Order: sequence, then structure tokens, then C-alpha cells
Amino acid sequence: METIRALIIDDEQLARELIKNYLKDQPDIQIIGECENGFEGARSIAELKPDLVLLDIQMPKINGFEMLELIDNPPVTIFITAHNDHAIRAFEMNAVDYLLKPYSQERLMAALEKAKEKIRAGAKDDRMKLLVGQPLTEKLERIVVKTGTKIRVIPVDRIIYLEAQDDYIMVYTDEGKHLKQGTMKYYEDHLDPSKFVRVHRSYIVRIDQVTQLEPYTKENYIMKLKNGASLKVSRNGLKNLKDKFNF
Amino acid sequence: MQNPIISGRKTFYYYLGIWFIVICFHIFLLVFSGHISVGTAMADSVVSNLLFGSIGLGLWYPIFYGKDEDEKLISVIINNVVGCLLAVGFWLGLTYFLLVSMYSTDQIYLGFIRKSLPWRAGIGLLYYEVIIMVYYLIIFYRNNKENLIKEAELKALVKESELNSLKSQINPHFLFNSLNSISSLTMIEPSKAQEMIIKLSEFLRYTTSNKDEKLTSLDREINNINRYLDIEKIRFGKRLVVKQDIQEACCKLKLPGLILQPLLENAVKYGVYESTEGSTIEMACSCNSSALSVVIRNEWDPEFQYNKGEGIGLRNIRSRLRILYNRDDLLTIKKDNRNFEVTIIFPQI
Repeated sequence: METIRALIIDDEQLARELIKNYLKDQPDIQIIGECENGFEGARSIAELKPDLVLLDIQMPKINGFEMLELIDNPPVTIFITAHNDHAIRAFEMNAVDYLLKPYSQERLMAALEKAKEKIRAGAKDDRMKLLVGQPLTEKLERIVVKTGTKIRVIPVDRIIYLEAQDDYIMVYTDEGKHLKQGTMKYYEDHLDPSKFVRVHRSYIVRIDQVTQLEPYTKENYIMKLKNGASLKVSRNGLKNLKDKFNF
Repeated sequence: MQNPIISGRKTFYYYLGIWFIVICFHIFLLVFSGHISVGTAMADSVVSNLLFGSIGLGLWYPIFYGKDEDEKLISVIINNVVGCLLAVGFWLGLTYFLLVSMYSTDQIYLGFIRKSLPWRAGIGLLYYEVIIMVYYLIIFYRNNKENLIKEAELKALVKESELNSLKSQINPHFLFNSLNSISSLTMIEPSKAQEMIIKLSEFLRYTTSNKDEKLTSLDREINNINRYLDIEKIRFGKRLVVKQDIQEACCKLKLPGLILQPLLENAVKYGVYESTEGSTIEMACSCNSSALSVVIRNEWDPEFQYNKGEGIGLRNIRSRLRILYNRDDLLTIKKDNRNFEVTIIFPQI
């Protein structure tokens, strides 16, 4: 069987040492690199194209989830963290397993077996399709975008609206726009529903940015925003607005 | 429960004093109404009033033991009317019997006593109501006092539990990450693993065993903080740099136990956890005769912070300071784009 090329991303050196020690005698696993933070992690994944990532969540500046979102075709991922409250989000991100620190070598081996199976089956990016329709506990507080090589963090309070563009989302903020991978469904589910509303197949709007709403055609309305933008509002969008905010 | 009038010597004398005045007034009335000699008037007054005085003492018991918290108004009224008729009737009968047998030959007095029966009954009724009212007032007053005491006790309890919950609790993520580091060290550097286990145990012991003490000395707190920082240094290596400037003279000054711990945890969280290069945490303690001042400063990068507002940790410290020192101005925060600084003043009482 082919060796699996694994990348370790954890900001604590001792935590990385532990993984390396646990995997020392595994002939079919080859550790191809170690990263101390999400920036290095994103770069290394792009360069080295590992089969498997062993990923911590709590890391400086951008966390493990945010790092994964920056990657086009993320590899099979095993989350290893001390936080027991991110498991749902981890499986949404298509994690094969979720290990709680401290963990035993046997537990890591069991996770590896699952990972091997998945790698053999051919890892395809089916994240976010897993728990669709499930009530989601975690709401996004910020989103991470990449412009060229620069990674930026946008607090959700700075977002004005999101626009769907094929497989991407254009994020409009008070200081510009950023393209990001993702689906409207994902953001509709993960943005705070008391602040954001889906007004159209292609638009999610922060509600306090709306200045006026006027009829356009029989079915559609036009929404004006504080920054001057005009967005189409569909019949469903209008219903969402009415349901939530008594427009 | 004993009658409050006879339970204290003083109140009993007051009770007697009041009856003495009533007796005198009674005599005065009889003598000046003109028909009765002073001696007979005195006997009449003493017999009837002392009798009522004794019955009055006895009335406490049915009132105290007969009262029911959720008794209906109607049954209270019925009880009182029946009690009143029995007590006044008994008193009137006995007084009449005694006085008539004492003065069985004095026809004028006998005539007077028969004629006076209705207004004697009226006076008995009045006495009865006054005594009952006093008893009810006493019971009401006592209940009220009991409630006040209970309320004060409750408040103290709430305050104490509030304090306990405000005290820093051990952060489980810190604990689990430290255990993971120990797990790693057992394989690569066992002696360091042992060192870390001991540090962690000492830290846990201090943190869990100081729940009852309100104030502790600065040097004890600093020792514990250093245990914590040493553990984090093992985890983060050169990413964590600590600078301390603690004046010798302040070491024995008092501050609330574990109040600085959450500030150090915050400093590590926002400084070290969120920094890729590393972060310096500075701690300075200075003092004068009336107060100890502690400054904790860390480097931070506001762009990557999650929460902009004041966290629960800082709010808890503010509440604790308010409860203990009754002041709102002891904690101050200074922040810019590079540094986050918290200063706390601990008044020395």
C-alpha cells in the first residue's frame, strides 16, 4: 500500500512531538512537514499537497477551521484539540475524526484507520453537505479571506452583504470586496440570523445596512443599502424579511 | 413559648405598673361617684383588676398557640369573639361572686354592683381587646424581626456564593493542553514531565484550596502566578516572555486570593495564544502605606481578536472588587494597538 503523506499543524511544539512519537513506527505514514500556525499551514498544504492533515483548532491569528476554508481542495483532516465544543463544526468541515487532548496512541491509530479508508476511497470535497438541515450551534464571528498571498480577517460586523458568484462568494465590506470559496447555504446557516437575512438566491444582507425597500416588478423588490448599492429582493426574500423583521 | 410579659422581669413590672394605675383610677372613680366608701372601693378595684390581670397573662397561650399562618379571617374573628365571651364572662362571674361574698351585708354596695354589671362587662371587653392587641403586636414584631434576620442571612449567603463563583475557575483547556504536553514530555524528556506534573499539581492545589480565604498576601499570589506562567512557558517555549518588577516592600500586602490569575490568563490568551512570533507579559507591583498597585501588560494584535467588548473575566474582577472594597474605581484598562494594560489598586485596610 502507498504511504500516506501527513502534515502536522499545531502551535505547540510538544503537541507536534507527541504526534511524531506516536507515528514513529508506522511504516505507511510519512510526516512531510510541521507547521506552527494557520498561515504556514495554508501555504504548506498548497505546496506539499499532503494526503492527511493532523490539525489543531486553537492557533494564533486564524484557527484551524479558518485555515481550511482558505484551501481549495482540503486534504483528509483529523482534528486534534483540547476543545470539546467544536466537534459539530469539525464534522461539517468533513473531518474524519476529532481527537480530544490528551489522547492515547491507540486512539490516534483508530483515527488513522478511518483516514486511510477515506484516502483510499478517494477524498473528494464533500464538506458542508454532511449536516445540512441540522440545527447549528456555532455562529461565525469573523471570516477569513485571502487576497493574493495576504490573509485577512473580517469580523462579521463589517460585512455589508454577500453575493453569490458561481462556486464563490463575494464579500462586500465597508472597505472593499473579497472573493471567498463557499456556498450561500453555508453562510445563510452560519451567520447570525438576527443580523443577516437571505433576500435573494444571490444575496445575503446585513439587516442594519438596509435603508429602503421599493417595488420593482410584480414579483420583485429593490433594496437600497447605506453604501449606495441596490440589490434585488425575491418573493422568498421578502417573506424572510417580513418573518424576521416585520418589514 | 412563654408569655413575653412574664419572661422578662422588667416587662412584668411594667405590666403590674399599668394595672396599678388602672386600679387607682378605678378607686378614684368609685369614691367620687359618691356612694361607696374608700375601703370598699379599694377592695372592688383590687379584686376585679387583679383578676383580669391574671386572666390577661393566660390569654397569651391560646393566641400564640392557636394562631395559624394561613387561617381565614372569619375563623380568626370567631375565635376571638368566643375567647372574648369566655374570658370576660369568667372574669365577671368570679369578680361578682367574690365581691358579693365579701360584702354580703352591705345592701347599698350590692345594689351598686348589680347595676354596674353591664358597664363592668363593657370595661372587661375593652381590657380584653387591649391585651389581645398588644399580644398580636408582639407576635407581629417578632415575626418581622425574624424575617429581617433571615433576610440578612440570606443576603450574606448569596454574597458568599457570588464571590465563590466569581473567583477564577480552572480553565479546562489550559488543563487539557498541559496534560497533553506532559503526555508528550513523558516520551521525549521524562524529567521535565515530572517537573511539569509537580508545577501543575501545586497550581491546582493552590487554586482549589483557597476558596474560603478572602484575602491573601501578594507573595503567595505571585508564587502561584509563577507556577502558572512556568507551565505556559513549557507549552509555548520562547513564544512567552515574562518580565516582573515586584517591590520587596509590597510582598506582605493583602489582596483577594486568585484575583490576578484571570488577568494573567487573559494576557497569555490574547498575547501568546494569538501571536505567531511571541509575546511579552509584564507585571509590576508597587505600593505605599495605603494601597497596593498591580499592573499587568501584554502585547496584542487587535486585528485578530474575537471579542471587542469587556470579557466576563474582567467583569467578574470588577464585581469582586465592588463586593470586597465597595468601590468601583479600582480597576482601570488602557489599550492601544500594541499593548493591553490592566491596573488594579488594592486598598490596605
